[in-house]
Amino acid sequence: MRGCLAVVRKELLSYFNSPVAYVVIVSFLVFTSVWFFLIHDFFAADIASLRRYYGIMPLVFVVLIPALTMRMWAEERTAGTDEILLTLPVSEMSLVLGKYLAALSLVLVAILLTVFVPLSVRQLGQFERGEIHGQYIGLTLLAFAGTALGGLFSSVSRNQISAFVLTALLLLFFTLAAELNVALQLPAGPAAVLRFLSFEHRFRNLNRGVLDTRDLTFFAGITVAALSLTAVSLVARKQR
Amino acid sequence: MIEARELTRRYGSVLAVDRVSFDVHPGQVVGLLGPNGAGKTTILKALTGYHYPQEGSARIGGFDIVAEPVEAKRRLGYLPENAPAYGVLTVDEYLRFVGAARGLSRAERRAAMELVAGLCGLSSVWFRPISELSKGFQQRVGLAQALVHDPEVVILDEPTSGLDPNQIREVRRIVEDLGRTRTVLLSTHILSEVEAVCDRVLILDAGRIVASGTAAQIASQLHRGTVVAVSLGRPLQPGEREALARLGEITADRTDGDATTLRVVLGEDRDTGDVFDWAVAHGVRLKAVVPERDSLEELFSRLTGGSP
Repeated sequence: MRGCLAVVRKELLSYFNSPVAYVVIVSFLVFTSVWFFLIHDFFAADIASLRRYYGIMPLVFVVLIPALTMRMWAEERTAGTDEILLTLPVSEMSLVLGKYLAALSLVLVAILLTVFVPLSVRQLGQFERGEIHGQYIGLTLLAFAGTALGGLFSSVSRNQISAFVLTALLLLFFTLAAELNVALQLPAGPAAVLRFLSFEHRFRNLNRGVLDTRDLTFFAGITVAALSLTAVSLVARKQR
Repeated sequence: MIEARELTRRYGSVLAVDRVSFDVHPGQVVGLLGPNGAGKTTILKALTGYHYPQEGSARIGGFDIVAEPVEAKRRLGYLPENAPAYGVLTVDEYLRFVGAARGLSRAERRAAMELVAGLCGLSSVWFRPISELSKGFQQRVGLAQALVHDPEVVILDEPTSGLDPNQIREVRRIVEDLGRTRTVLLSTHILSEVEAVCDRVLILDAGRIVASGTAAQIASQLHRGTVVAVSLGRPLQPGEREALARLGEITADRTDGDATTLRVVLGEDRDTGDVFDWAVAHGVRLKAVVPERDSLEELFSRLTGGSP
């Protein structure tokens, strides 16, 4: 436990001692705001809904999450510091959890900072609170699962670039699985699989303010599976 | 203590370490000596649990590194080759992290920080990012990291690489201090280092231990006689030369102005005293007779397949 917390602290120090975390989070906030207020012209549309603001998030996460997770293990390996980390008296699972919690907290900070958008426009009309809450729950679940996947790909990749690309591609697939369904006109079987995997599909429920235990289980399952596989990959690497 | 039993490791089809067994006891400094690629680092990585041996086992302080890794690693301080460290962290942040991860309480950490700052001479760079430090300081940070939790067993992979002579002396002093009470295993390809700090040497070639013992023991195993450098103030006359050649083989003869220096490998039953007798007998005025101590070096290159 102590080892895990030490890793969390060290990871957060590493993130904030370099400009990367700030740059990624600020770009995320700027991009989503520009998208919503300027490109979608929220004020001209004259509708008291933030659905378009939150709707773009899953797609933006395709870039945001790998940008924050790509370094997790790949950087350690290139710098040789994994030799320090893996010879500490800390179990592989604690290392994985420590790194995960640190990266997750960054993604959650990015999400948290978006509340200034609803706060700044709430005077302008009757926004649905339940819907906005649902959207935050959805983004949080997405952050949990996405960060765990990012960590997994960082641990199996040779370098940060491939960790970024692999994570982004997988998240893109999950995000667009529903669109693929429509585009490809698949038969019922594969179509159901794609719908099952689709983040967009699950996110849409939450976007409407509907919280389903099946969606919760889905994201929790991905998270647990990705974290366990990361620990397994660390042990497997020792045997190669 | 460190116990290695029949350690074997392959990288793909390459056999990097082949059934290596040895013990290192508390109060001992043991040097792992070998040319690059002999398997030194592979052995150290297996002992520290960075990777697993395919066959054989390793125990640190009585705990198997594969079966009980956390207990074994708790007793271990490890300086990897090239002293990798988190460049974006300051020395303070880094050593606090390592201390905490190795289970030191806040109070213990504070005491440990002061201790290693003094021991490794890091006070002047304590709050600077590691990436901004010179190679010498980075190496010392690596050493501090290995010692921060006062481990029973210390494993150092080329602890003096990249250091200047003063720093090398400093590191050797630290290693000697450690060796009084702790179990120390270090790897190096520098022979003088082994002679300076190690109680015992394991010479490694192509993944196998080819010789072990004290530097003197190993040297005597393949002793070819004492080597002396004889200097005199004038060129050698042919008769004198013949007489000298009877003591041993003259392997080098350099004349520089008036000064002549000869390198003589003395025969089995000869010693330096015979050189003085020869000088007296022939009225040669000696400027110096210096025994050369490179027998370990010759031994090393013969054992590891290099040309002597």
